[in-house]
Amino acid sequence: MTLDVKTLGDLYGKVAIGNQAMLGIMGNNRDISVGEIFMVYSQRDGHERVFFFRVSALQNYLRHVDDMARVAGTLMIEGDAYLSGIKRDMLLEVEGKMLGYAEMENGKYAFKSPRRLPDHLADVYRPVPGVSDKTVREMLSSQTGGEVLIGDLQVGEATLDVPVGIPAKFLPMHMGIYGSTGSGKSNLMMVMIKSILDSNLEGIRSPNEPRTRISAFCIDPHDEFAKGVTKFGIQNVVEAMDQDTRSAVIGDFYYLTTHLKATPREIQRYGREIRILWEEILPHDLYTIMDFTPQMVSFIDAQYAINKENWISAILDLTEDPDMVQKGTLNAVQRRLRFIERSPIFVRSGSSILDDVFVAMETGRVLVVNTSLMSDTEQFLLTTVVARSISDLRRAAKSSGTLGDFETQGQLRLPAPFFGRIKTKARSFYTKGGKSDDSGVRDPREMPVILVTVEEAPSILNPQLMQGQSVFKDISRQGRKFNIGLVVISQQVSVLDNVILSQMNTQVNLRLGNEHEIQACVDNASINISGMENEFRVMVKGDAILTASYRELPLPVHVPLFDTLFERDKGKYKPSKTARSSEKHTL
Amino acid sequence: MLERILTDEFRNQLKATFMDIRETQEKKDENELAKDEERLRHKLIDSIEPYRSDVVFDTDYMVSAVDGSGSSELATLNDVRVHLLSTSTIVLGTNTKNGAPFMPMDRVTLEAALGRAQPYVNSYWHSGVRGDAREKMAETLEDIYPVSKIPDLILPFFRDTTNGQIQSIADLSNSRYSEHAAMLQTMESLIFYGQFLTNTHVHDELRKASEYAAARAVITSDIRPKYVLLDGAMSMFLHQVGQYPIMPTGFMLRELCSVARDKRVVLCAVSKSHTIPGADRIAELAEEVIGKSNKWFCFLPGQDDPGGGLHILEKRTYIPPPLAVPYLFSFSQDNRPSRIDFDRVWWLQDIFVAGDPKKTRQNEKALFRDIEFMSRDARWYGYPVALALAHEECKLSYEDLRLAKEIADDVLQELGMGIRRTVELREDYNL
Repeated sequence: MTLDVKTLGDLYGKVAIGNQAMLGIMGNNRDISVGEIFMVYSQRDGHERVFFFRVSALQNYLRHVDDMARVAGTLMIEGDAYLSGIKRDMLLEVEGKMLGYAEMENGKYAFKSPRRLPDHLADVYRPVPGVSDKTVREMLSSQTGGEVLIGDLQVGEATLDVPVGIPAKFLPMHMGIYGSTGSGKSNLMMVMIKSILDSNLEGIRSPNEPRTRISAFCIDPHDEFAKGVTKFGIQNVVEAMDQDTRSAVIGDFYYLTTHLKATPREIQRYGREIRILWEEILPHDLYTIMDFTPQMVSFIDAQYAINKENWISAILDLTEDPDMVQKGTLNAVQRRLRFIERSPIFVRSGSSILDDVFVAMETGRVLVVNTSLMSDTEQFLLTTVVARSISDLRRAAKSSGTLGDFETQGQLRLPAPFFGRIKTKARSFYTKGGKSDDSGVRDPREMPVILVTVEEAPSILNPQLMQGQSVFKDISRQGRKFNIGLVVISQQVSVLDNVILSQMNTQVNLRLGNEHEIQACVDNASINISGMENEFRVMVKGDAILTASYRELPLPVHVPLFDTLFERDKGKYKPSKTARSSEKHTL
Repeated sequence: MLERILTDEFRNQLKATFMDIRETQEKKDENELAKDEERLRHKLIDSIEPYRSDVVFDTDYMVSAVDGSGSSELATLNDVRVHLLSTSTIVLGTNTKNGAPFMPMDRVTLEAALGRAQPYVNSYWHSGVRGDAREKMAETLEDIYPVSKIPDLILPFFRDTTNGQIQSIADLSNSRYSEHAAMLQTMESLIFYGQFLTNTHVHDELRKASEYAAARAVITSDIRPKYVLLDGAMSMFLHQVGQYPIMPTGFMLRELCSVARDKRVVLCAVSKSHTIPGADRIAELAEEVIGKSNKWFCFLPGQDDPGGGLHILEKRTYIPPPLAVPYLFSFSQDNRPSRIDFDRVWWLQDIFVAGDPKKTRQNEKALFRDIEFMSRDARWYGYPVALALAHEECKLSYEDLRLAKEIADDVLQELGMGIRRTVELREDYNL
């Protein structure tokens, strides 16, 4: 025996019945909750394995009693009845799902799907925070590691010090975050943003270690991320950094908003106003977010072919239906475009934020986008334009052998004024070395991973809009090639389009509103979590079940409060004294 | 077979059988019982005044119970059968001072006091070869029951049955038992039906001896229980001519009773399934006399008791058993009456007061008050909890037995005797 079983936790019970999928355990009469994880120590045929088991149902069990209802009835009817020494006979029958098992291979734990069964009457251990953390961390390292923190491994109502994250390399395989109002989505987003900043900081501080930079365009529909939900927010992280660190991690700004003047002064310093020029919007962007009849699409495409990037101005300036266009089409299209005309963020002329967003995304930075003062349509169009622009640039790079090719591709795919402004920067990001047209182009997979969040996803990722020419359909299918990942955030799963759902390879399932949504979550999880419906029903704010196609184990996670994490880590955003003195000595 | 069982014809056959019983037996019993009805109502049935649930005794005491189980077919090697025997001894404290009545004694203390693991399991073999059978059975009984000297084993019976006139082996020669003295020499000679011993009979005797041995262990231990309960009746079958037990277990029972009296332990045997005729009618009478929800007991007198035996028991000579006093009781309206037997010698000393039926009744009521108090566990309400626990611990389920047989197979393999598998032969033919 190589494993010290004491490090597994408290000896809780014995395996009674079951198969490789479900187990029945007979355990002590303890305060167990659905969702707890137990470990079963087995030594069948000389193979030392630790099986992981998740509680799905509990039942009181009295030894020597086949009919509990009868005993309860007797206690009620015969007022003088007692139960002699009953504590010893009070047990819990625990039923649950086998999650898999850990086995040492070449000096390291490997985690495997539940293809085997623990030994007869094997001992069952209940993990204890402070005792079992290290062992569990080692055994589940292949299932829990990753730069983007989601939370700590949950064992019932407690958590172990086993951080659960998503590896950066899997972010371009897209991620769904599902949870009803009050399930903890905002806190989760803040925790994720913080861990992306932390990961990027780590990369900056250890330039010789290979570490993927992560960029994120994070929609903040309630303007909570910067200021925080309770005490601390991303602004506190930014302020905790010294000047050099801040400059390296967040650049000049991280906060985008519609009205900068309405922003608190301390955040204003790191803010920019969102302005997108009409010329940066393509017809596809609009087809992605709203319905157009075939006549309207045909009319818009024709206007785009004639007027190119000025197509919106051209249409809005028209006063009557052009020849060959069905009467009323112009009016209908103008009505649909009217929100652009009225919007403070989509402007006919002036300066655009899109250039800065592009630079930020290609340099591994995080942008918090306050959309609280935008209409839904404005928010959707903004997300679409940003996602499509970045995607088209990466696509152009991916399909080019040289910088010269890239420029040609960029001109074909992107609005000319925008590409004209950013092409020099783009060439510097995408070059393998050198500036000439003959210089080779880097593979996007060597560049920062770019995450784009899609909030209130059902409004634009529904089956009806996805039937058309949605930008997100392309990104969801091909984003992996371009190192771009979608983070689809939704209160409902059932209304999302199947194409989108099938492309989500990571799901963070928070508390859901009803049985229908729970079932949809179970049905669409990347790994089989059937039988875990009970656990969805007992989730509290911050509880989540993390499933991923690249992992064998569905992981119950509790997302820690952002404030707690910040309090814990705030000291690490300034260089350590040793590092500073070392620099001084070098100088 | 099922197609025959489900026919109307089968139902009609059963109907005829039951009608026949009613016509020939039950009506006769009803008539006999009717003769005792007044006596039952006014003298033999009485209510129990139960202790309050929160009663606190001045001195808490221990209650013990013993039960056994077994199988005569752990393994069959040619004509040799291996018997598996289990016993369980439970000791509970009344524990009223701590408000948790009938708390089981922890196993470590119990095992230390009894000197063996609990529950206890052992195996014995028995041969069906004539001659060998009796000898082997005697050897096994000597191994099981701790009293091996024959005078020590048999004298308690003769002492009790002659009111102390026989005190030694020498006294036997001057008594009516003198002509049977040769049969009272060894354990083997005490087995009267040696040549007719069936496997079931042998097993029952070994099991009974095991239970008596376990009871003796707890009575003589430092635990000092106030009550020791056995499962069953204190039945003892006597030689028709010699009027002494026809099997050694009869002597063992009397030796056990004698030790219990010496140690001031109340020994009683409780049987759920009894053969008291008219028990249901007695229960109806009890309900009429003392009300439906009450707890009651009913003394079943013998010929030597005041007023004589019941008419209904006249031709049933096995009730009351020799040297025993039976009662019927019920502690809940949901339970059919059960039977409890006491050692008659103890009963005459501690319960019966000659010429004072009132005092006798007071003693009986105090006795049943205790027994009722120990029978309130909600899992087995109305049945003594210690006995119920002993039963649960000793019983051999089908699964237990299957595993025991598998282990026996393994052991046979280890010993190179593996060809003779312990599984039943009929399994070879898928029967």
